[in-house]
Amino acid sequence: MKKKIIISLFLIVVAMTGNTQEKSGFGFYTDRDVYVSGETLFAKIFTPEDNPARIVYLDLVNHYGVRVTGVSLEIKSNQANGFIQLPDSLGSGNYMARAYLKNTSGKLKILREVWISNRFDGLEKTSQLRRVTGLEKNQDKITEQIEIEYLETTYQTNSNIGAVIKIEETLLNEIDGNLLVSLAQTEPSFDAASFIWSSDQGKDGITENKGIILSGTVNDRKTLEPAAGITVYLTIPDSVPGFQYYQTRKDGRFYFLLEDYFGAVQAVVQCFGITPTQRLKITLDGLFADAGTLPEFSQQPIPEEFKHNISRNIDVLTFRKIFSQDKFKLEQVAIKQKEISPYYGNPTRTVDPQLFIDLPDFTEISRELLPGVKWRNYNNEPTLQVINNNMHNYFAENPLILIDGIPIRDLNVIKDMGTADIDRVEICQYERYYGDLRFPGVVAIYTTKTDYSLLPTSDQLIRMDLETIQLKAITSENVISESNIPDLRQLIYWNPLAEPKSTIFIKCNTSAIAGQFKLIVRGRLKNGTLIFAEKQFEVK
Amino acid sequence: MNIRIILLIILFHAAGFATTVFAQEPLNPNWDAEKIKGTRYIPYPIYEGVPFLNDSWLPGKIEFASGEIADSLYLRYSSFKDEILYYNKALTTQIVIDKASLNGFSFTEKDGINRVFRRLYFDGFMKGERYFEVLSDGETDLLAYRKVNLITVSPYKDQQNILKNLSYSQNYLYYFYSPEKGYSSVRMNLGALLSKFDKVSQKTIKKLLRKNRIKITDEFSFIYAWKLVEKEGFALIF
Repeated sequence: MKKKIIISLFLIVVAMTGNTQEKSGFGFYTDRDVYVSGETLFAKIFTPEDNPARIVYLDLVNHYGVRVTGVSLEIKSNQANGFIQLPDSLGSGNYMARAYLKNTSGKLKILREVWISNRFDGLEKTSQLRRVTGLEKNQDKITEQIEIEYLETTYQTNSNIGAVIKIEETLLNEIDGNLLVSLAQTEPSFDAASFIWSSDQGKDGITENKGIILSGTVNDRKTLEPAAGITVYLTIPDSVPGFQYYQTRKDGRFYFLLEDYFGAVQAVVQCFGITPTQRLKITLDGLFADAGTLPEFSQQPIPEEFKHNISRNIDVLTFRKIFSQDKFKLEQVAIKQKEISPYYGNPTRTVDPQLFIDLPDFTEISRELLPGVKWRNYNNEPTLQVINNNMHNYFAENPLILIDGIPIRDLNVIKDMGTADIDRVEICQYERYYGDLRFPGVVAIYTTKTDYSLLPTSDQLIRMDLETIQLKAITSENVISESNIPDLRQLIYWNPLAEPKSTIFIKCNTSAIAGQFKLIVRGRLKNGTLIFAEKQFEVK
Repeated sequence: MNIRIILLIILFHAAGFATTVFAQEPLNPNWDAEKIKGTRYIPYPIYEGVPFLNDSWLPGKIEFASGEIADSLYLRYSSFKDEILYYNKALTTQIVIDKASLNGFSFTEKDGINRVFRRLYFDGFMKGERYFEVLSDGETDLLAYRKVNLITVSPYKDQQNILKNLSYSQNYLYYFYSPEKGYSSVRMNLGALLSKFDKVSQKTIKKLLRKNRIKITDEFSFIYAWKLVEKEGFALIF
């Protein structure tokens, strides 16, 4: 009998552990631990191999649990790298940089403690350091199979560094992905660490195996209940507009996949009621995970050395800002051309009103310049119809009307548009299909301003600036062209994608900053073990 | 006691299943898939002959220009207009898929034969994008352009007793195609095949076909012969 009970208990334990997330191989590193607001934080993340997600999120949360900023990074070969521009307005204090995948964000995040000092206040308003306590550190294993050679213990400022990283053959075969090689100033009085933060409080999102997923809910404004059967549109205006739609189910939820978008894009999410009187409200989900609960902190007095170094760092950054030494290039991504022609089809005709005499409104424009477009405005209730060339009659329904690629239904928006407002009008005089959507003709108006100011803002239309997958930074070594300007870099070398080879040569220059520096090599083995080797030196 | 333990385990798993499965509604099928773009199919005028390669809807798949594949579709290829139609069940409409949005398509005949079509730019007479059926895929492809033309014929009366003088007529064209060398048209006979090789190779090819008892009489025997010749590594002259 005892045996059976033990077996049953064992089965329950197995079932429970089966639901927990595999933690091995999840690593998160930053270039430094101590920053000044306005600086750039560079990061490298090793993501769990068993997670098919293509996107990893990196954000910054203050000790009150408020998310300050964040970016989404593309995972390639189970690793990602990127940067966060620390806002100038950040107050001095301890912050948590978090790395997580949307589909496991509720249960697992990697936190990294960083210190950020305000560039203008310094430590005036800060009396104590808050440090994370009671959490298990994400332990990396130091390896002796990586040797850092020819790195001296002291260097002069503005001198050449030539180091060699030697990796044993047995280890080379075990390394998974690329190595991170970093050479940066260290802060001995603030030794930060990464922590595994497991909690069951948050809600896991959908697996983003193709790209960022934008999601939300549509509610009926009258009943406040989720609205089913509503078609939600996502438009990303561009020279060839991107367009997606989703029909909500009983839960009112909708999802859009942003697969091949990089950097900042403008997006419009909108929906229309099933009946003209139905009023709806779109609520978008946050792109990032909730701040949720934070680990416990303990108060510590600020060491004098730390205070001194912070004020030095602030001076350094101010100088770097004045001489624009903080700029770096962004890698250009070869974006896959998805749309060759607009989703609404190739226009039957394109009319440029600027080529004709000035006309005051759309009534005149349609009458004079748009054959096959019937615009009527009886009793201030405008209607628009497009001829069906194939059937030689007018469509009974309103066509798809677009302003700068964004669908609209309220014709009052366009009725006052004259020659001065319209760049061109594209008309499709045939029945068009996009997935399960049918468009009885299309009238696409492209405005001269292209600022989307004509779009009626409401609960049914959300216009937003979306930060999609971050473009990679090219962190080549700074070259100070003018000899009279001091080189004040604290990050001397950063290569998050170093190819594992038996010999890796590192060549760089020290800056005008004196202090303790460290060359660190980090990597991950195929069994998930995170390894590192480091060597410290002093710049005098 | 045993039953209690088993019940406990079942309860535990059921609770886990309920929280994961019924947490929210499942997503719409193919919600993140590329959408098919097209226009409504306008029926062709009725004449003698068939404007379609396959008159009934056949199960098949399409490959978008992005490389994404959409399957479980019912397709019909119009040889007359060189366009592919699909039947949209939700809209109960026949839709002509935008040619520019596709790399190609394939469908399976009732007898189980899979027919593959590829969109290629034809730079010969009547330049433009065309769907070619891939008869043989290799370093040099053997392609068929399944064209149906509307030709003038002797007047006839159709089923409605209307007098007509037009008819749909098959005019299939065959090409050897290599991305580097382009197209080389060929007819489905032995002479045409041999003319694509140098004099020395011609003799050997003749011997090879004879040895394998291949007599080129139609499209199928030509494909078989070409596959054999290609396997032997003879260089084709474009």
